[in-house]
Amino acid sequence: MTTLDTEVLVIGSGAGGATTAAVLTRAGRQVRVVEEGPAVAPGSVEPFSLEEMVAKYRHRGGSAALGAPPIAYAEGRCVGGSTEINSGLWHRLPAAMAEQWRRAHHIDEFTPEVLDRCADWAEREVTVSCVPDAPPRSSAVLADGAQRLGWHAVEVPRVVRYEQDGAAKQTMAATLLPRAVAAGAEILADCRVDRLVRRGRVVVAAECRRTDGTGERLTIRADQFVVCGGAIQSPALLQRSGIRRRIGTGLKVHPTIKVAARFPFALDHGDVPMHRITEFTPDLALGGSANRRGQVALALADASPEAATAMADWQGIGVYYAAIRSEGSGRVLALPGLAAPVVTYRLTEADMSRLARGLVHLGEALLAAGAVELHPSVIGGRVVHRAGDLVDWWPAVTRARANLMTVHLTSSIGMGEDARAGTDSFGAVRGFDNLRVNDASLLPDAPGINPQATIMAIAVRNAEQALSSW
Amino acid sequence: MTVLVPRSLLAFERAAVDALTDDLDRGDRARVMAYVDGALAAMPEHIRAGVAVESLALGAWTRVTALAHWGRTASVDAEFLDRLDRSPVGPLRQHARLLRSLTLFARHEIAGDEAGA
Ligand SMILES: Cc1cc2nc3c(=O)[nH]c(=O)nc-3n(C[C@H](O)[C@H](O)[C@H](O)COP(=O)(O)OP(=O)(O)OC[C@H]3O[C@@H](n4cnc5c(N)ncnc54)[C@H](O)[C@@H]3O)c2cc1C
Repeated sequence: MTTLDTEVLVIGSGAGGATTAAVLTRAGRQVRVVEEGPAVAPGSVEPFSLEEMVAKYRHRGGSAALGAPPIAYAEGRCVGGSTEINSGLWHRLPAAMAEQWRRAHHIDEFTPEVLDRCADWAEREVTVSCVPDAPPRSSAVLADGAQRLGWHAVEVPRVVRYEQDGAAKQTMAATLLPRAVAAGAEILADCRVDRLVRRGRVVVAAECRRTDGTGERLTIRADQFVVCGGAIQSPALLQRSGIRRRIGTGLKVHPTIKVAARFPFALDHGDVPMHRITEFTPDLALGGSANRRGQVALALADASPEAATAMADWQGIGVYYAAIRSEGSGRVLALPGLAAPVVTYRLTEADMSRLARGLVHLGEALLAAGAVELHPSVIGGRVVHRAGDLVDWWPAVTRARANLMTVHLTSSIGMGEDARAGTDSFGAVRGFDNLRVNDASLLPDAPGINPQATIMAIAVRNAEQALSSW
Repeated sequence: MTVLVPRSLLAFERAAVDALTDDLDRGDRARVMAYVDGALAAMPEHIRAGVAVESLALGAWTRVTALAHWGRTASVDAEFLDRLDRSPVGPLRQHARLLRSLTLFARHEIAGDEAGA
């Protein structure tokens, strides 16, 4: 068995891990990043394709939180984490939300000013921009529908560099990770941390296993450990290591329900829409999803009888969503003998009602934008052609019939000084001298917006605080 | 605790994918089958185990009902899957939806299917 030594071990290379590694290496720390998934060269796999699911997704995208209804979810598993597969939509945490979190969860030094400074840093690093020309039609219809209804809509900037020869997404593998390597960090891909080895208040080593097919075992010793595996895997790793107090409870997601909308004109299918209807935020947001042929077929399938006919005209069909902030919450539970944790999520009646409202509002906007046929992701749901029929969707969104998914997972550990949080205000795990968490699991609640910007801003803040305390 | 999960598609799952791709040529059909096989194998063990138990039970059920109908061969066809889709039993509905979704996604992405299933 090989043994490696480092000053700081960062576990996970996504939004939280890459940011942590970049801040620490620039301050002169010796950093090693371990990543369970493979290194995949940026741009080498077509976005949202089947190949991407095989190469970059955990479980090839086939995970679900158990509950009624179950909620399908996706996580990245490759160098760069979920930033490699996400849409790159970039939203700063609104100041009011930061204030609310600070007060409700007793988070020290969590002011809008501090977060803005950290978000500035992240934005400089990754390049955040709007489309230079007219937006794609699949996106413009959202703005159009909102405008006709007198609702507010925005183009959400993306972590994308628009150049002469196309758009390049500025993922962690394209930005912070290579810069961290240039500053001295080492990245070990295809290496899963199975367990942290503890001695009293100190973590002494990480027991790892190569996931490249060799199964080779590895021990990595470090002075400091920062867990950045994401909102599902971070609590699971801590639990596998015997650290369970306030870990894995309070999981939050943005439950999402979809509509496949047919327009009497062709839409583009190569990218995701960047417009969002923000009229009902933060509790409800309306936007667009990946639109490839396979995804269109899936979105049509629930209201099944008419799906096959509708697919004949798939070029005119786009997939849109309503995502809510939920009152309910979930749990992550690592069980002995299982490599993957069991995830559960409980939606309240108010959540179900909010989803139904979201679906109806989404239908209104799409019809206002000129859609001629709407297929809800509700089993046996009515295919709607006129606004007057949308009323049928209200009672149809039930626990038995709604088909939900999410790509935003947060809050399974939580930070702050209050009793519910698993770490202190800066991500230090309670009861340990050298163990921190720095990823989506720290967010005290679901933000109601795309979370990457918030995760990165918090990761910068916490990494800076760690540097000052080591 | 160790959860035992099948390494490849079970007979019922294979029959379901077959039923949903019977209009494709052999090559595309095999590729869709391989994708569904890989996708199920990659799932979290507890979810794969749950799906496998249901597949075994449904496989047994189709054989028993076939025998009850004077030895007709067990048939897992599109109509049977449609009935599962509408079943009042949540896990059965989810089971059918899972197999249908994986197959649909693959046939459109791999086979560039024009029929649309
Ligand atoms: C399809 C999709 C679309 C999205 N779209 C957007 C969007 O447009 N805008 C936005 O703001 N957000 C979006 N998100 C969400 C955003 O990408 C995530 O919230 C964010 O990346 C989470 O950061 P993280 O560091 O917590 O985890 P991740 O980025 O998921 O990184 C965690 C990494 O840790 C690794 N890891 C886990 N456990 C271990 C272990 N034991 N050993 C070694 N490595 C381990 C994982 O393999 C993974 O690579 C999207 C997500 C998905 C899946």
